[in-house]
Amino acid sequence: MDTKNSTAAGSTPAAADTKPILEVDGVTLQYKTKEHLITATYRVGFDVYPADRFVLLGPSGCGKSTLLKGIAGYMKPVEGAIRLKGREISDPGPDRVMVFQEFDQLLPWKTVKQNITFALQNGGKSSSAAEANDIAMEYIQKVKLSGFEDTYPHMLSGGMKQRVAIARGMAMEPDVLLMDEPFAALDALTRLQMQKELLQLWEDTHFTVLFVTHSIEEALIVGSRILVLSPHPGQVKAELNAFDLNHENVGSKEFVRVQQRIHDMLFADRVLEDEIQAGDKG
Amino acid sequence: MSKIPDVLVRPEFEASDIGKASTADVARKLTLMERISDMNSVRKLSILVIVIVAWEIYSQVSGVSELVLPKFSATAWALVDAVFSEKLLYMVWNSITVLITGYAIGIVIATLLTTAAATTRFGSDILSTLTAMLNPLPAIALLPLALLWFGLGADAIIFTLLHSVIWPVALNAHVGFMSVSDTQRMVGRNYGLRGIVYVVKLLIPAAFPQILMGLKIGWSYAWRTLIAAELVFGGSISDTSEGASGGLGWFIFASQMDLRIAYVFAGLFMVILVGVVVETVVFNKIESLTVRKWGMQAR
Repeated sequence: MDTKNSTAAGSTPAAADTKPILEVDGVTLQYKTKEHLITATYRVGFDVYPADRFVLLGPSGCGKSTLLKGIAGYMKPVEGAIRLKGREISDPGPDRVMVFQEFDQLLPWKTVKQNITFALQNGGKSSSAAEANDIAMEYIQKVKLSGFEDTYPHMLSGGMKQRVAIARGMAMEPDVLLMDEPFAALDALTRLQMQKELLQLWEDTHFTVLFVTHSIEEALIVGSRILVLSPHPGQVKAELNAFDLNHENVGSKEFVRVQQRIHDMLFADRVLEDEIQAGDKG
Repeated sequence: MSKIPDVLVRPEFEASDIGKASTADVARKLTLMERISDMNSVRKLSILVIVIVAWEIYSQVSGVSELVLPKFSATAWALVDAVFSEKLLYMVWNSITVLITGYAIGIVIATLLTTAAATTRFGSDILSTLTAMLNPLPAIALLPLALLWFGLGADAIIFTLLHSVIWPVALNAHVGFMSVSDTQRMVGRNYGLRGIVYVVKLLIPAAFPQILMGLKIGWSYAWRTLIAAELVFGGSISDTSEGASGGLGWFIFASQMDLRIAYVFAGLFMVILVGVVVETVVFNKIESLTVRKWGMQAR
């Protein structure tokens, strides 16, 4: 239960000689509330390889968002280490760009294009305004927002805002793109559309992405590899492959089987109260 | 088998061709009348006209003394006369000069206080304690002290203005900084913003709605304080452009001493006019160029 299962290690897409781009090594993360010291994750370890669509999946309270914040550099682990390209992470930086769930991640005083150029210029990706402008326009076009480049965020729908955030993240060309439930606040149809578009974008450039979700279905569709976390505190329960599951085979026998397997994993050993609680929050 | 279903089962259907909706207006131009009545300025102006007409009729019909309530027409003439032959506009300018001086110095001090409050816990404690203590104190109550310390003159008035500007501006800016969302803070740090760059490029624009509100409140407090202070001591600001002595408040006070009540009303009208122009024209312009354009207006 608390050991890493190396299921089907041979079928991992990464070749044996490829080095992981991100190593999370026995990481325990804690944060304080007014009354408690909460242990969010306990000795969690996993490796992310280049071009992975790596999903952190688990119910509320499994510390998956906290883990992402640790990787982004907003929190320091009390135990263990997080290494990006072999270098230990100490601060937030533009080599790991975060896409948040909240729509207010776009700076409201900047237009769509300015939001992207702001990131590029302050993150040190482009030195000249003209270059930043060109890159921004390229990514705006990629996320199908051409014509909206001079629009302010408050005029955009939720889905469009998330597209801008994704464009901003991708334009930075980070070593790993961190996505914290980016589609959770969207309606079901838009969410489906966004999942498809994200996969199309991945087909283009094969960027490395770390994706947090509490939806088993979304994890299977978006992810190529899935880390299943148990709650209170978050511990690794399994690491599974899902690179052959996508929108086309939702509802297929194989898809449902894996879905059921994860569901059992997460809910099998829990009492009824816990289930109700998780259902309420999630 | 013949169990009655719980729901009434009806046949399904699918429209083969819905065609074009031909009857209803999908989008219709508003009529001229509809557009005029939608204009804020038109509606508010008409209220003003009603008040003026009521005033004029009342003062004509009731035979009320000119010393109590002058006619609107007399007030309007007094205003024109004051502007052209009593240098009222210079007096207004005198007032505004003092006001702007006090306002500017107040903003500088408020900025320092807010910076201290944003960066250290001690600074934050200082700000909240001082604000809690001094904000309820009407600035005009400090005038006797100010006269003692700075003597009869513009300095004393500027001192009281500072008091009316600093606290609302600093308090609102501080609240604005505190309420910048965690997500936006994280976004800023994600792109490597640090220190003063982080404050200037992220915190200030993110807190701008609150900052602007503080500036507005500070301005309106200062304007009220200034007029009140001038009413009592304003004759002493006589370093005066073009020989007009004192400010607008002093003009009102002096007119009352001379029993020129229409001129008192003209002075009051000028106070309102300056207040409205600054609040609606200047601040509205700033708002429409910033927070309203960004969809960040505090409601």
